[in-house]
Amino acid sequence: MKKLSVVIAGSGQIRDVEIQPGTTAGDILHQLSIPDYLLSKGPNEPFFASRETIYDKVEDGSKIFASTKAEVGTWA
Amino acid sequence: MNLRILQTRQAPEALRQLWQRFRGHAPAVTVKRQQIPYWQERGWTRSGNRYAGNYQTPWGAFQGYAEQHGSSFFRFYILHPPQQLSRDRHWTCFIFRGGGAYEIHLSRQPADVGSGILAIERLLTEAFQQARG
Repeated sequence: MKKLSVVIAGSGQIRDVEIQPGTTAGDILHQLSIPDYLLSKGPNEPFFASRETIYDKVEDGSKIFASTKAEVGTWA
Repeated sequence: MNLRILQTRQAPEALRQLWQRFRGHAPAVTVKRQQIPYWQERGWTRSGNRYAGNYQTPWGAFQGYAEQHGSSFFRFYILHPPQQLSRDRHWTCFIFRGGGAYEIHLSRQPADVGSGILAIERLLTEAFQQARG
């Protein structure tokens, strides 16, 4: 088991979660009732895919970010 | 009063132990975590509907600002974007607005300003990573 602090980018609210091996990013977002968000370890790291297992990719006690989707795109 | 410190010495061990016993352990203090929005955590400031600060990457910080229109529509700008961005496939989404400012067009709007800042910081980071090969 690992403990994580999920920081919601918009509010700064921190949600503490405990994950087991095999837990996916989608599992966490679903559990926190923020299915439209994306998880990442920070702005310099890519987003975790929803089905990606994150247990091995995060340190116990670390902080990860949940932010809403935003895409830089071409002008219509 | 004139005073000059000549030397600082530790008290003898016996005296320090005595003091420790007399004083005891201070009660544990629970340190509260800061729960602040991402834009504040990154040092951005807000004035009315305008946010200003730096997009931060491992390669440097780039000045920018954002305007909020309504509850969740944002316009993001970057001042003097780095050269690496001009070689990125997203460069066409940067529109020059004068005075060194470029507006960044978002095809998908974030729900909050922090998520937009984070997305642009990520884009900048990727541009630098690609430029380095």
